[in-house]
Amino acid sequence: MAGLFDRFAVVKGAAYFKLLASRAREIFDSRGIPTAKTEEWKYTKPRGLDVDNYEKSAVQFMYDFEEIPIDAYRLEFINGRLNQNFDMPEEIRVESIFMAPEELFGHLADINKNPFVALNTANIEEGVFIRITSTLKKPLLITYKTSVNNTNLFSNIRNLILVEEGVSSEIVEYFTYAGNEKSEYFNNIVNEICIKDNARLSHYKIQEEAFKANHIAYNAALVGYKSYYKSLCVQKGANLARNETEVRLADENAATDVDAAYIMNGWATIDTTTWIEHLYPRTYSNQLVKGVVGGQAKGVFQGRISIPRDMVGVEGNQLHKALLLSDMAEVDVKPELEIYADDVKCSHGAATGVLDERQLFYMRIRGISEEEAKQMLIDAYLDDVLSKIDNNALYSWVRDRIK
Amino acid sequence: MVLLEIEDLHASVNGKEIIKGLNLVINEGEVHAIMGPNGAGKSTLSYVLTGREGYEITGGRIKFKGRDINDMPIEERANEGLFLSMQYPVEIPGVSITTFLKHAVNANRKYHNLPELDTFEFIKQVRQDGKLLGIDNDMLKRHVNVGFSGGEKKRLEALQMTVLKPSLAILDEADSGLDIDAMKVVANGVNALRDGRRSLLIITHYQRLLNYIEPDFVHIYADGKIVKSGDKSLAEKLEKLGYSNFVCGNG
Ligand SMILES: Nc1ncnc2c1ncn2[C@@H]1O[C@H](COP(=O)(O)OP(=O)(O)OP(=O)(O)O)[C@@H](O)[C@H]1O
Ligand SMILES: [Mg+2]
Repeated sequence: MAGLFDRFAVVKGAAYFKLLASRAREIFDSRGIPTAKTEEWKYTKPRGLDVDNYEKSAVQFMYDFEEIPIDAYRLEFINGRLNQNFDMPEEIRVESIFMAPEELFGHLADINKNPFVALNTANIEEGVFIRITSTLKKPLLITYKTSVNNTNLFSNIRNLILVEEGVSSEIVEYFTYAGNEKSEYFNNIVNEICIKDNARLSHYKIQEEAFKANHIAYNAALVGYKSYYKSLCVQKGANLARNETEVRLADENAATDVDAAYIMNGWATIDTTTWIEHLYPRTYSNQLVKGVVGGQAKGVFQGRISIPRDMVGVEGNQLHKALLLSDMAEVDVKPELEIYADDVKCSHGAATGVLDERQLFYMRIRGISEEEAKQMLIDAYLDDVLSKIDNNALYSWVRDRIK
Repeated sequence: MVLLEIEDLHASVNGKEIIKGLNLVINEGEVHAIMGPNGAGKSTLSYVLTGREGYEITGGRIKFKGRDINDMPIEERANEGLFLSMQYPVEIPGVSITTFLKHAVNANRKYHNLPELDTFEFIKQVRQDGKLLGIDNDMLKRHVNVGFSGGEKKRLEALQMTVLKPSLAILDEADSGLDIDAMKVVANGVNALRDGRRSLLIITHYQRLLNYIEPDFVHIYADGKIVKSGDKSLAEKLEKLGYSNFVCGNG
């Protein structure tokens, strides 16, 4: 493996990456960090992010990190750098992101559409191109570890995941930290995902960044004929977090489930933004997003479904629900349905509620403490989403982590 | 020994006085029945006793096992042995009966400094208890009260009582919605817990339940207080004559 991950100056295709990076730099420099005037960013305001005030590398402290205890093939990034000591089976080919095919790289996540994609593309130094060539026996777990002390580290990790025809696969992403819990580091992640025909990818993500950290992720997936992309993201960390998922259903019978759960307190903003594009007839999407918001925190859900003309037989459903634990907690929801086709089944809904006094009373008269009763109701609330995790070991672990 | 002592209790809901000077003493092992017209404040009494939010004691006092319960949180009263079978049990989607019961039992054990129960043993016990009350294993997997018929809900209340073994159980219309056979089953379940020390406070509209669970005392409750007390023959008399004879003071 030695030498494989050298910086792009010495890697083939360098010209293309360099060109894209400089275009991305121009775009980001001219537009900057979005303000509240930018429609897509009017609820989640990244105004505190001064990208020039971050460090691109940091001294690495050897802390003990939380690990997800599941049987998996493992990759890890520590402070934005890939740990090159890994062991992969034949069916998972891992290379430097700079080895990614030019016809895919930069075509799924568009530097023109999203300022943080531009920022990422302008700054990529690290990332992997993962090609899954046959059905996996175990999931691939990618852990992103940040171990910072006083440095405000800024990492732009860029991955491209290619699932070959007929292949079934599962990827788990886990964002965790150790060390100074007040560190204000910034992870800006872009994943481009291509699922070829008759293939499946279950993509789970658990975001547990430090409570003052910033986490912005853009996942752009292209789903082929009769293929299926399942995205399930659980967010509970960071001060400012946005997980954006764009799915292009790019051939008949392509389907996706994009689900998310978030739970937070304090002053955090956690944002789930989705965009499902039904680019072919008979494509299907389902979204269930549930959040629990306490303290003075803010949950944001923006869900866009596009169904262009003539896309018959499309089904697209979307539901967002949130539980507010305090008077100061806030939820902003923006569904956007762009439907130009007839003969489609489309639904969307949103509901916000509070914990039910009658339920709490009923549990407490059985001796369960108020705190435990609340936790049980929260667990039950989020379980609609979490129970969609097909990996049992991961499911049990995640359920424990939301406490 | 005195288990519950209510002295000149006044209580209100949303600023409206519902209980207006109620006195009641329940000793260990005794079964008391309270009968009274709709809206008299019987359920309100059960909520005041258990400490439900919004039910405020404005006068008098309640002692349970010798302690004034005014400042005891709901769960502490429960863990001290006060149980309420609710008139309208609450649905809890997403929480299975088994999980719910396990949390309740372990909360109880923790309160009494006992170790948690072994899950396997616990489930075995609950299944046995359930069987006697006509609750099968499939039902135990269902979410608490969700989609249950009226009678099934009451049976589940009885199961919770059987599992938690309280020292004083308030049964608020434990018989409503039960068919004749189910009433016998529930009554048997309740009677099985009677050991000479546990006590019951049965709120009911009908004498029928009292044929199965024999009360030592029957109280007629109207307009916020007990207007007449007697033995179980009072319930029979009430069934014949109706409340008006007692409430108007010429019974
Ligand atoms: N939250 C509340 N707000 C206002 N009034 C209330 C509230 N709860 C109870 N009440 C009133 O208090 C009175 C007593 O109600 P309660 O439910 O205790 O009666 P009850 O004796 O149990 O009647 P029933 O036999 O019909 O069950 C009723 O007039 C009821 O409307
Ligand atoms: Mg009542």
